[in-house]
Amino acid sequence: MIMDNKRVTSVFILMSVCLALLVWINILTGSMFIPAKEVIYVIMGKSGNEMWTNIIMNIRLPRLIAAIVLGGCLALSGYLLQTFFDNPIVGPFVLGISSGAKLTVALTLIFLLSKGRNIGSFGMIVSAFAGAMMAMGFVLLISSRTRSMSLLVICGIMIGYICSAITDFVVTFADDSNIVNLHNWSMGSLNGINMTQVAIMSLIALLCLICAVCMSKPIGAYRLGQDYASSMGVNIRLLKVMLIMVSSLLAASVTAFAGPISFVGIAVPHLAGNMVRTSSPSVMIPACFLGGAVVTLMCDCIARSVFAPTEVSISSVTALLLVPVVIWMLLGRRKNAD
Amino acid sequence: MRTDMQPDRILHTDDLTIGYDSDLISGIELNVAPGRIVTLIGPNGSGKSTLLRTLTGQLEARGGCVYLDGRDMSGMNVLDRARDMSVVMTSSVRPRMMTCREVVAMGRYPYTGRFGKLRKADEKIVDHALELTGSAEVSDRFFDRISDGQRQRVMLARAICQQPRVLILDEPTSYLDIRYRLDILNTIRTIADRDSVAVVMSLHELEPAMRISDTVVAIGDGHILRTGTPQEVFEESFIRRLYGIEGRDISLLGPGPWMEGERTVPVGQDASDIHGTGARAIMIQGTMSGAGKSMIAAGLCRIFAQDGYSVAPFKSQNMALNSYVTSEGLEMGRAQVMQARCCKREPLVCMNPILLKPTDDSGSQVIVNGIPVGNMRAAEYFRYKQQLVPEIQAAYDKLAGMADIIVIEGAGSPVELNLKKNDIVNMGLARMTDAAVLLVGDIDRGGVFAQLIGTLDLLEPDERARIKGLIVNKFRGDIGLFKDGIEILEKKGHKPVMGVVPYLDIRLEDEDSLSDRFSARTKRDFDICVIRFPRISNFTDMDVFEQVPDLSVRYVDDPDDVGDPDILILPGTKNTGGDLEWMKQQGLDAAVISYARAGGVVIGICGGYQMLGMRISDPDGVESGATVCGIGLLPVATVMNREKTRTEYIGYIPAWKGVLEDMNGMQVTGYEIHNGVTALVGRELFDTEYGDCVPVPDADPSECVYAPDGTGCNRGNIYGTYIHGIFDEEGVAPRLISLIAAHRGKNIDVSMMRGHFDESEDMYDKLAEHLRACLDIDAIYGMMGIVRP
Repeated sequence: MIMDNKRVTSVFILMSVCLALLVWINILTGSMFIPAKEVIYVIMGKSGNEMWTNIIMNIRLPRLIAAIVLGGCLALSGYLLQTFFDNPIVGPFVLGISSGAKLTVALTLIFLLSKGRNIGSFGMIVSAFAGAMMAMGFVLLISSRTRSMSLLVICGIMIGYICSAITDFVVTFADDSNIVNLHNWSMGSLNGINMTQVAIMSLIALLCLICAVCMSKPIGAYRLGQDYASSMGVNIRLLKVMLIMVSSLLAASVTAFAGPISFVGIAVPHLAGNMVRTSSPSVMIPACFLGGAVVTLMCDCIARSVFAPTEVSISSVTALLLVPVVIWMLLGRRKNAD
Repeated sequence: MRTDMQPDRILHTDDLTIGYDSDLISGIELNVAPGRIVTLIGPNGSGKSTLLRTLTGQLEARGGCVYLDGRDMSGMNVLDRARDMSVVMTSSVRPRMMTCREVVAMGRYPYTGRFGKLRKADEKIVDHALELTGSAEVSDRFFDRISDGQRQRVMLARAICQQPRVLILDEPTSYLDIRYRLDILNTIRTIADRDSVAVVMSLHELEPAMRISDTVVAIGDGHILRTGTPQEVFEESFIRRLYGIEGRDISLLGPGPWMEGERTVPVGQDASDIHGTGARAIMIQGTMSGAGKSMIAAGLCRIFAQDGYSVAPFKSQNMALNSYVTSEGLEMGRAQVMQARCCKREPLVCMNPILLKPTDDSGSQVIVNGIPVGNMRAAEYFRYKQQLVPEIQAAYDKLAGMADIIVIEGAGSPVELNLKKNDIVNMGLARMTDAAVLLVGDIDRGGVFAQLIGTLDLLEPDERARIKGLIVNKFRGDIGLFKDGIEILEKKGHKPVMGVVPYLDIRLEDEDSLSDRFSARTKRDFDICVIRFPRISNFTDMDVFEQVPDLSVRYVDDPDDVGDPDILILPGTKNTGGDLEWMKQQGLDAAVISYARAGGVVIGICGGYQMLGMRISDPDGVESGATVCGIGLLPVATVMNREKTRTEYIGYIPAWKGVLEDMNGMQVTGYEIHNGVTALVGRELFDTEYGDCVPVPDADPSECVYAPDGTGCNRGNIYGTYIHGIFDEEGVAPRLISLIAAHRGKNIDVSMMRGHFDESEDMYDKLAEHLRACLDIDAIYGMMGIVRP
């Protein structure tokens, strides 16, 4: 593929440096001050301070890995959906997929808690995936009836609202003790993620990333539109099914672990694309994943440190930071169109 | 042209039917040989793109098959297909941040590996394609930042990179300036010649299509109209007709295939001596009224239409009580409407520019181009009609511009010697339109030799020369027995006999009330009684009922004949007031009232509806000027005024009550044609202002269901409507009969009933089949200078 290789390389280096920097900041910041030197000792396994070891290894580290993995997943999911719908303003959140996942997770959660049982990570993912597929099904149903992209987005938002409304109903009738828990989760939070969950989500993320890389050739051709792609030998049906499955699984796992996190899926592919200045999927797929990781990690850092010790929902931070990006993108597109 | 024996073809179709939700074009047989350029031409929306999309597999064929190098494309692997066929479409894709070189390299998709990595050889092919199309200079620019012309060249380069054996292009030169257009066309010609690529494309520009193509396919009107070399297809009158620009000022277009030029007419004789346009005319004249001209003309219309010609009927002047209202709200004779349907065309008023509707014994309403110009006495019209020659000419020219063949119907006999001066309906018209004439005699009424030979004898020599053949119509019995008769006719008349047409009992729409439908009929299981007004009109409303064998439709003018029918219908009339007076004189009003009070179903249509009301006043003197009391069954009153309502009606039956309550909401189509406005009478007015006009006792206005839109008024089992053809829509008449039969405890099978229009279609085909069997159709084509393959 022909592209500005120098530019792409430097972008990847820049993002990696940012990521490393953010990892370091994240691991240092928190309600308890831990000196940098001690942090290194803890990571190297040489620290004698059990509490610090505990904080770093069981709280800060899982959380920052989760931010990296889930952020990457969200951005990748957004990129795949944007490819599928050939529309730069769709993302798992906008299309209601995250809300669908949220609804089923909430239902499952309350149902199981009322029976006095807890839900495992696997159960969360399965129920979230079911919800994501359900919402996706609605979106696909609508997209088969209309070619209007704005209508599609509006319907997605409506589906999101309906799912959120049902979730709110359910929450209203849930036991008091569950509400706080549920509320935090449904606002989007990376709080309280443990190492086992991190392992599971990383596995899923890796799987999806491999799938996406394998699809990069047909996705590249799909940029010329369905008709041309088909005329060049792309199996459109298979590609579409794969795009839907992978993007829904990505969005579902994020929602299952962290609740809905908004706008990363829309904004990051756009930011990444503008930086690498190519739409070639073999570049865009890693760039989106890395970019999503950087942005989410940064937002999580802000979420937990700005009003410390009170934590803000990560979704609020992403919205605040990324909505301007989305608006700027829409305006830019408008200018190009003219 | 089937070319099954042609082995050297890379792409071909077999009985292909294309279309989106319905069949657009069927029976497509296309053969494309390697290195050949096939160009589709035709107006916008004619189906060129649809055909191309079907050829590429983007659109599923609705029937038949597309074969790529002998393999059925629908079962082909997409990658295999992509190695043999590439496509450039009109849709503008604008992927962001993709360089032109990337776009072109995408053409290598079917050849690259799992991750689409280009090998050295691939890069070379890409470079070459960029150069061939002149796109090398934009190679590293983003695809969405270059001009349309450059983009089109890049897309073509991409298609070339696929190294296809078939290249499909949908309007590759649209929106391009001449430089890009030249580049694209040159590239196409080059790859066709050098790489033996077969090219199928659509083009809007006719000049280049004429020069670049090996074969041209003209598509229009849902058909492939012509296929052949550019010389064969680019015939000036055909091109004008294809794009519907005949008779228009085309000077702005400049020179082109639409101009008369060096090309020759492929079929038959030179078209230019046939009245300015390319249409061929055949005229059917009869030896007398009712010889069966309309029917023969209708059958020929259908035959020519079946054979793939664009056909239109024409009759300069009709005298008929029944008229039809076109979608433009214009009035024309129903015979040409029926013939237009035989031609599978929308009826147009130019098919029958003059319509005379008899109002009384010596006068008629004269309607020119669908609009009434006034009432005239016979002598007055005889003087006036000379002025109508230009109107007839214009109407005919308009029609000739849109059809290959015009089937003209004469009127009466061509040798009414006292009226022959200034003839505009028979030989005068034949001369105007340079039509070949077929003379039809009616053997059923006797004296067919005298009819035919006598008519020939009375014609002037030049007129006689126009007659190219004779037809003996309405023959009953064994045709073999008439063999001698044919010989005698040919010997004495010096004209060939085209055939003897056996009597066909077929219910085509009647031309006028001079038909035999009113002859008394016996009552059957289900009985419909229609009041036979002296000036009855639009009685074709009742035609739909005649499909049922166990049902009788009786036309009565004597109260004693009314009896106890299942339905009593008051049909339309040319003169409501006059026919109402006539009813009263006959005592028919009393018969209607007593039938209605006994609970019978009474339906009034148009004039009949007006009569069922309280009063008909005529302040403008449209009819007699007098105010007449109605029958008083419906609480409505009509004011006649000059403004005539002429509209098509498509709507629903309103909230009817009574026996027909279950018909509510059924869709009906029809038309309104009447003078006067009918409105509901309020209860207060009922007692005072209508004091002179006495309602039928228990006529309570509060029970009335009234709709002002023409669907009319209903009270109890009395129904009044302005909609002619209200029973014609599929399902309406069977429901009506079933409901009434159930109400009256009868059992009648209406399963054979079909909507009037569907039924007619079958009948037209049957008629065509009938005529094909007994007429020499090839000889008739020959008379028009058309040689059938």
